[in-house]
Amino acid sequence: MTSNTEAALERGPTVRGLDEGRVTLRQTLIACGLLLVALLAAILITSLFGSERLPTRASICAIASFGRSRCGLTPDQYAILLEIRLPRIFLAAAVGASLAVAGASYQALLRNPLAEPYLLGVSNGAAVGTMIALVFFGAWEWSRPLMAFTGALAATFVVYRLAHGRAGASPERLILSGVIVTTFLSSAIVFVTTLMDATRIRSFTFWLLGDLSGATTRLLALAIVVAIVGTAVLAANARSLNLLMLGERDAFDLGVEVARVRLVVFFVASLLVGSSVASSGSVGYVGLVVPHLVRLSLGSDNRITVPAAALAGALFVVVADTVARTIIAPRELPVGAITALIGAPLFVYLLKRG
Amino acid sequence: MSVLCAFLLLACSVQKPTLTEASDARQVTDEAGRNVTVPAKIDRFISLAPNLTEIAYAVGAGDRLVGNTTFCDYPEEAKKVAKVGDTLQPSIERILALRPQLVLVSTASQLEVFTKQLDEHRIAVYVTDPRDLEGVFQSIENVGKLLNQESRAEETVSQLRQRANAISDAIKSRKPIKVFCQVSAQPLYTIGRDSFVTDLIRRAGGVSVTADVPEAWPKYSQESAVAARPEAIILPTNGSMGSANADVAEGLKRSPAALSGRVYRINGDFLLRPGPRAVDGVEALAHTLHPEAFNQ
Repeated sequence: MTSNTEAALERGPTVRGLDEGRVTLRQTLIACGLLLVALLAAILITSLFGSERLPTRASICAIASFGRSRCGLTPDQYAILLEIRLPRIFLAAAVGASLAVAGASYQALLRNPLAEPYLLGVSNGAAVGTMIALVFFGAWEWSRPLMAFTGALAATFVVYRLAHGRAGASPERLILSGVIVTTFLSSAIVFVTTLMDATRIRSFTFWLLGDLSGATTRLLALAIVVAIVGTAVLAANARSLNLLMLGERDAFDLGVEVARVRLVVFFVASLLVGSSVASSGSVGYVGLVVPHLVRLSLGSDNRITVPAAALAGALFVVVADTVARTIIAPRELPVGAITALIGAPLFVYLLKRG
Repeated sequence: MSVLCAFLLLACSVQKPTLTEASDARQVTDEAGRNVTVPAKIDRFISLAPNLTEIAYAVGAGDRLVGNTTFCDYPEEAKKVAKVGDTLQPSIERILALRPQLVLVSTASQLEVFTKQLDEHRIAVYVTDPRDLEGVFQSIENVGKLLNQESRAEETVSQLRQRANAISDAIKSRKPIKVFCQVSAQPLYTIGRDSFVTDLIRRAGGVSVTADVPEAWPKYSQESAVAARPEAIILPTNGSMGSANADVAEGLKRSPAALSGRVYRINGDFLLRPGPRAVDGVEALAHTLHPEAFNQ
């Protein structure tokens, strides 16, 4: 950015508001460092909780040795800790990070505090894609994330096109389009599940509420890679997102390649939502609550919001899933129910306070 | 407005024709504990579950079955009967149009609301709720009584009972095998305390590691499934389920049962339908779990 645009940034009332939210690199590193420590601590602590009680000391020892030593755990306990529980916690972290980052960047790009994968219909688009993959290409493992991504991307573009009227896009139009696409896709889901056989309907409807238990190693690896790469790409575009929060025209005047940034955000966010839905169904509220919490406590500079939302989202879903898998053990609740139970009241509180 | 009023009045007067209260109607209590008034002689009835359709044919009342669901695929004749929808979403209009005197419903289909609707139209609804094989036998006898096929039903049950007893005799001296029954892989569902499948496994010389878990079909923790150390994993699959549930859940692939190859696929239509073929399920399970007991 030229010094000219920097100067432009310093003028005007809207710009000052953004300025207050600006943070230095040092602040970003401190905040993210703290969140990272909290996330790692949460991963370690939640790995000690599950429907089965494992010896604490031996579990910590086994995790600390990265699974190289059994530390006196029986083969079963070892398998439970390292092949069932930890992968699930990592998946929860990847899904939480993906959804929170997708939410944060939708909110910045679309200048709409309510923009969220679930409300925009993007999650449902991914769900329809996953379902089509299950029905038609069930045997091919990669068909799920691929179709989920395609579905998410298609839903994003449809909502965006619908939101653009002759008078341009307004926040209300956007949410309305999102609601329309969401309900349409929900009906599509009902329609297809009705056509599927009984046993699959049952598990699919529950799977739609969010289920982190069943991902294969490959899907888990994909979810983690996508979460990290996606966060990095969006963080690299954070400066443009900051300027886009002023409005597309202003951002364009300030030298932002609006069309390119929009494309990147839509593409990457769809990838993030697609990979998380393909591995775990739709987990709601993460993309809404987490970015808002982050902005409330750290300000609205996207250079900090994006990476911090990733870490906080991971933390949120790791904790929520631990509740889901332990509270009525050995039975389980869908994680989506827990995130909604925590998320909805929290959001109401934020609305009241804001 | 007046047109609307007139229409509503008309609608009310047309609806619910005064039912000729058959003097020879019977009062029965169904398996869900509801009091039901049933005509003495039933010429037209509908089944809303595949197991009930199988029971109807087994007691020799298949010719009076005027409607069933798209899931009702056994015996072969059942496929030709008018379909009123699937087990989860039957069409009330179709049912009314078929003028049944009785509708058979299984608790497994969770049709409480629907049942109330049929009640309002004064169609007798009989709900079955078997929790074990004995309960299945009871259902067969109850349905037989309702359809005036009592002796056929008793005969059927006594034959089924003989087969079930033959199995329990054969495996009597065998040590029960610890079994985990996976109903769906993702999410992981299993059989709980209230599922009749738990009893089928017990009768086949097994013991379900989730026999004490509340509910009939609980969503279950993979950790607990591994920790229970099942010696064998049972997958109800094939039949009308096609390739659904043909593979072990990801987390169970490294369990001792899976590693030692003790994953058994049993026809889901035998195992998951509380009808006459549940005994086929017991036989298939017993032969799978204790092949040596049948090798004389």
